[in-house]
Amino acid sequence: MFENLKEMNFEIAEAHCDAPCGVYDPAQARVEAESVVQLTKKILDLKRPEGDDAAAHLAYQNTLTRFIQIKETRADLAKHHLLVLWTDYFKPPHLEKYPELHELFWKAAKECSYVKQEVSTEHCEALMGHIKRIHEIFWETKGKDVAWYTAS
Amino acid sequence: MRNELREANRRDEAAFNAGLREIYRVAGDSMRPTLKEGELVLMNPHAALRIGDIVVARHPFKKSVRLIKRIAEILPGERYVLLSDNLEESADSRQFGAIPAKDILGRVEARVKPGTEEN
Repeated sequence: MFENLKEMNFEIAEAHCDAPCGVYDPAQARVEAESVVQLTKKILDLKRPEGDDAAAHLAYQNTLTRFIQIKETRADLAKHHLLVLWTDYFKPPHLEKYPELHELFWKAAKECSYVKQEVSTEHCEALMGHIKRIHEIFWETKGKDVAWYTAS
Repeated sequence: MRNELREANRRDEAAFNAGLREIYRVAGDSMRPTLKEGELVLMNPHAALRIGDIVVARHPFKKSVRLIKRIAEILPGERYVLLSDNLEESADSRQFGAIPAKDILGRVEARVKPGTEEN
């Protein structure tokens, strides 16, 4: 039966996830959050120039503005990557096993907002803590033992 | 509800040769254990659809992509909630919502094994 089919090419019916598929890693959120942590430190360490040197003040304003702008962008990216994990990777069976998931992601996303709104090492630490927990759960669902690490 | 998938027979072969059926190749693992990567399936574009049927559908956002999923629910307005058999492995109506009837291409009626004889 169907002998004539052997050499034929058929259209593909995707039983994949949302193609292109399957590549998720909390590391994306972690790297962006680490940038926010570093920029928060840099902003706190940045010294306002003394005196009336216009060039020094301009340089200070320029540097501070750039730090803030990058911090805003990176915090948004961290939130984006977290939301992708939350809504695309994690499925109802994961939620059954880890009932804390929704609150964990909600808190992590909130911290992404707080680290933008404020210059706060406390919120940076809270954000990193949530991402660490997401990392642990994520790799448990994958059945892989991936140690937590940071790039900075 | 899962309707089991039978093997294609001579009558299916005749319908395919007459242009009344289409054959697709399965890619991916989201329909395991029912369907495995690389298997061929026979689709009837004219069949009535019921809950539990496996169907081939247009992806709601990527119209060139064809999906193979199972009907979990039929909503008012002829919209179909499609789920994977392997819920761990897949995106389906849980992510992209219900699929309108016009994007359901047909019902998968049988698996096709070229070269095998009918039992």
